[in-house]
Amino acid sequence: MSLHALGTDAPGQLVILSGNEAIARGALEAGLGYAASYPGSPSSEVLGSLGALARAGGFYAEWSTNEKVAMEGAAAASFAGVRAMTVMKADGLNVALDALTSLAYSGTKGGMVVVVSDDPGAHSSTKEEDTRYLVRACHLPLLEPATVEEAKEMTRWAFDLSEAVGLPVVLRSVTRISHARGSVTLGALRPAPRTARYDLNDRFITTSLFHQVLHQRIGQTRARFEQAPFNSCEGPAAAPRLVIAAGPSFTYAREAVRLLGLGEEVRVLKLGTTWPLPEDFLGAHLKGAREVLFLEEIEPFLETEVKSYWAQHAAELGPVTFLGKASGHVAGAGAPGVGELTPEIALRAVGALAGREFEPRSEAFARKVDRLPLHDLPPRALAFCPGCPHRASFWAIKAALELDGRQGVVLGDIGCYTLGAMQTGYFTLKTVHAMGSGVGLASGFGKLDLLGFTQPVVAVVGDSTFYHSVIPALVNARYNDAPVLVVVLDNSTTAMTGHQPHPGTGRHATGDLAPALPIEAIARGLGVPTEVQDPLRVDETVESVYRLLKTDGAKLLILRSPCVLLPSVKRLRRAAVDPARCIGEACGCGRFCNRAFSCPALVWDRALERARVDDVLCSGCGVCVDLCPRQAIAFQELASCSR
Amino acid sequence: MQPVNVVIAGVGGQGNVVASEILATALAACGYRVSVGETFGASQRGGSVMSHVRAARGETPGPLIPKGLVDIVVGFEPLETLRIIADYGRETTRVVVNPRPVYPLAVQAGEASYPDSRDLLETLGTLAAEVTVVEATELARRAGDVRAQNLAMVGALVGTGWLPIRPDAVVRILGERFADEMLRLNREAFRLGLEDVRQRV
Amino acid sequence: MGRRGPSELQTQVLAADLCTACGACLGHCPYLKSLGERVAFIHPCPRSEGRCFDVCPRTSLDPESLDRQVLGAPRRHPILGGYDGLYFARARDADVGARGQYGGVTTALVLLALESGMAGAALLTSGTPTREPRAVVARGRDTVLAAAGTKYSACPTLEPLAGLLRESSEPVAVVGRPCQVAAARKVEAREASGRLAPVIGIFCFWALTPAFYRFLEGRRDLERATKLDLPKDGGMTFAVNGRTATVRLDEIRPFIRPACQACFDPTAEWADVSVGSTEHDAAWNTLVVRTARGRDLVERARAAGALEVKPYPLERIPVLEEAVQRKKLRVLDALDAGQPEVAYLGLREAQRAAVRAHGRA
Repeated sequence: MSLHALGTDAPGQLVILSGNEAIARGALEAGLGYAASYPGSPSSEVLGSLGALARAGGFYAEWSTNEKVAMEGAAAASFAGVRAMTVMKADGLNVALDALTSLAYSGTKGGMVVVVSDDPGAHSSTKEEDTRYLVRACHLPLLEPATVEEAKEMTRWAFDLSEAVGLPVVLRSVTRISHARGSVTLGALRPAPRTARYDLNDRFITTSLFHQVLHQRIGQTRARFEQAPFNSCEGPAAAPRLVIAAGPSFTYAREAVRLLGLGEEVRVLKLGTTWPLPEDFLGAHLKGAREVLFLEEIEPFLETEVKSYWAQHAAELGPVTFLGKASGHVAGAGAPGVGELTPEIALRAVGALAGREFEPRSEAFARKVDRLPLHDLPPRALAFCPGCPHRASFWAIKAALELDGRQGVVLGDIGCYTLGAMQTGYFTLKTVHAMGSGVGLASGFGKLDLLGFTQPVVAVVGDSTFYHSVIPALVNARYNDAPVLVVVLDNSTTAMTGHQPHPGTGRHATGDLAPALPIEAIARGLGVPTEVQDPLRVDETVESVYRLLKTDGAKLLILRSPCVLLPSVKRLRRAAVDPARCIGEACGCGRFCNRAFSCPALVWDRALERARVDDVLCSGCGVCVDLCPRQAIAFQELASCSR
Repeated sequence: MQPVNVVIAGVGGQGNVVASEILATALAACGYRVSVGETFGASQRGGSVMSHVRAARGETPGPLIPKGLVDIVVGFEPLETLRIIADYGRETTRVVVNPRPVYPLAVQAGEASYPDSRDLLETLGTLAAEVTVVEATELARRAGDVRAQNLAMVGALVGTGWLPIRPDAVVRILGERFADEMLRLNREAFRLGLEDVRQRV
Repeated sequence: MGRRGPSELQTQVLAADLCTACGACLGHCPYLKSLGERVAFIHPCPRSEGRCFDVCPRTSLDPESLDRQVLGAPRRHPILGGYDGLYFARARDADVGARGQYGGVTTALVLLALESGMAGAALLTSGTPTREPRAVVARGRDTVLAAAGTKYSACPTLEPLAGLLRESSEPVAVVGRPCQVAAARKVEAREASGRLAPVIGIFCFWALTPAFYRFLEGRRDLERATKLDLPKDGGMTFAVNGRTATVRLDEIRPFIRPACQACFDPTAEWADVSVGSTEHDAAWNTLVVRTARGRDLVERARAAGALEVKPYPLERIPVLEEAVQRKKLRVLDALDAGQPEVAYLGLREAQRAAVRAHGRA
């Protein structure tokens, strides 16, 4: 439904958009011509929305193979005078960083906005990285929206800024913007240009000669930031207690001041343009402050920048007590700078400024909660969906390695299958690093035979990961003749981030048909022996892995079966336990189906004292049918689609 | 003015994101400025999830509800409902809950046990100001697909009358969001949830 | 015996590389699987005791107890085990003789057992000698014939046994290596009294690992070999396209399964009958008749005209005994040295002395 609102040309209309949609809308209101991205939570829905609107909107949107290529595509559009946007998660910025640092030197032409979404608390990431340090290292303008509506406004404004100073502008979002929803007032749409052209008088060359030019541009940026509408201060002008906040932490700060009744005692300074610091604006509001509290995510970035500014101007500003992550005042359950900054942390920190506490619950309620055995409540570990082919793949790989008996090492990568490092994947994966790192590591392990290494090496990667960054590592393994087995878990989608297409799926971001580039064709083209196998046929998969582990050189095994969440996958049957054949604990199997294989749909029925299939969850993959030693699980056909 | 704070609690994959979207849109239609705080991505894979839906007159509220300020919990799963009310609730919190358990891996593996369903609901009753139990999964099954449990719960919430949302507003919003069989299913699940609660009064 | 189960099987046998891939522990539970003639737990089993430990011939072997169970009396011969008669034998049926490795005696006896109703099904090892063999459950002549001929690696033939015993009540014939015979007798004692009929043991001094087959794949000159043999005078021979190619034994030795070094029983002392090469005349087999059932089987086969039998040449008995004794002495030395891989053998000092003393009086 938001998609309908997203493309509406109805300035002034009040709608509800997610942060990602708001960013997309801001770009459309700025006359976006080109958008490129690689999926990464929490940023994926920006290109997801733009892709759905591209055809009607007359602009270009693509899912690129990786973030570096996406950034380069956007840069090309910018060089041709077109407004362009590229979107990624924090880890994606790491991938694209070489391109971005170069663009800072070469400069850009058409407005270029780089949207980076950090993930404080790592809700959907392997790390919680604060990319603001990287943006500073690139010497690029940095914007941090505090609300969903501001995300839209800032995005639109960022294109103007980018063209004014000739640099890409980074909009740094976080999960609580990107994946939040809020009321937004729509602005007017601006059509995409039809004037793309490369002026041959332009040159965009990265050379150290432009380092000085870059500093000048940053100076111009600072001047514009002084006037930016995204910085503000509220509260009594004379108050010596000042909260400096950026991002959604600002809304927590404001709510904390209200809930604590500190509206007459505490000033709240909102910074939306966070690097380079709008120093005059900052200096004006720092005057008179005796205690300054910083609320930001994730690390004490602003805290350090402001303290550095203060050190420069200490004589005029006088002594200030700085409270934040360095002082330990702003911290959650973990250390300062670790984990998400929540409204509770803000309430505690702001309250401590004025010696107030906030307790909304009655003592009676608090006591009741204390008496609850909350620690005994079972935790909810992440698990592969019922029917996920990855469960079958890891089961088979684990079995094959046990049978092989040489203590094989399995290296992981990024995707749904990263869960292979946890119980749901039988703790099979021993390493997880960056996209493509699994095969890079495998290539290295594979050459340790010279130094006494005798363990077989298996690298598990996803289909989208394969195109993203595995190919160079695979070339390396083949070129250096490393004996590694690369297992590609091909579920025909980029699943973890929301089922975006990739070069193997045969679809574009717009939904149009695209040429499919089969992984097996690429691998075979490199001379890497490649086989394709259905992972749901577990015994065959075990045999394939076992056999391939005994061959030399680099080889590829594609375990291909579609993600069960894909709409094209219809549930035609489900599994059911025959309560006459299942004899429960008396079987001696140790509840093999639910305890060992542990599909969420296989449940231990305490009343019946038998295994049972949860018909709501079961997807009918059938792996459990083959595993039960008493053949107590069988298929039931279903009328199409209904459960 | 304090915002109205609603948490939708459940397990990844139960449809809390769609439900929160519908709810937020319905509240916006009543003239509120709304904010929704979500977590999706990895938590979809069977982890605990919650949506914070906040509605205020005046300024748009922040995306997360401070602990202890939740007015209503819409629980798609009883264990998660208990966790949320313990963490975020207070004595005035009202709860509408689907009592059907979704078992965590640790329980299936025999390493942890899932609390007795009656005990769970009873505990909820001692903590919340009001608990309305709705067999939303069964209602959704009647509508045609158990996955529409989320819409049955939205219907139940509207049926309680705790929020000033009109059913016809939701029916219209569903029409803007879905089409064909999905629209029929979701409208029917919504209606069954609504009726189920209304006829108790 | 205290509670012993999967974790002891793992440490004492599987991790210690003592598994002979007999297959007895397989086919009963979902935790134990086999591939490439290796046996492994594919998932940790939570039980503290288990059938797997009980039926494994390498967790413990008590020759005296097995003698009582199978023969009903202590053995009379310290080297060859209990026996009632020692013969040269061969199948009379030309088809059977042609398919067999030597005299086709095993095949002839299995056919007789099935045809006479002594057994309802036979658990055999099938395949060609240049590829990994598979277990097969035979009920008819064609399947039995197809399983004829020696296989040189350690096929876990007993894997289907647990299922066969569970799913019906018919007697099952088993043809196996000595380790498989011992395992079958442990299964019989635990859960299958009277169900195994007959148990035919094949002489075995060692088995090769499947790496042997990969070695063969690399040898173009041995492609499409139809028959392998280990004749007495050194080397392994391959019948290829009407010729015979020979590979030196020291090229084959690297593929010997390490677990076989700990074996004390090359002639399958607890079978109903044991069958081997004569190492003298390729047209005949050595046949050892051990139990009453074994005697009954052989007499029926003779009466039916399926088997021809003649006395074992007296002058060759010391040759046979010497070969067997040599293998047993190596194990005794390891036992005396306290080596853990032979600790499974429950051999009292008196029996050890008897083995050492034999032939030296």
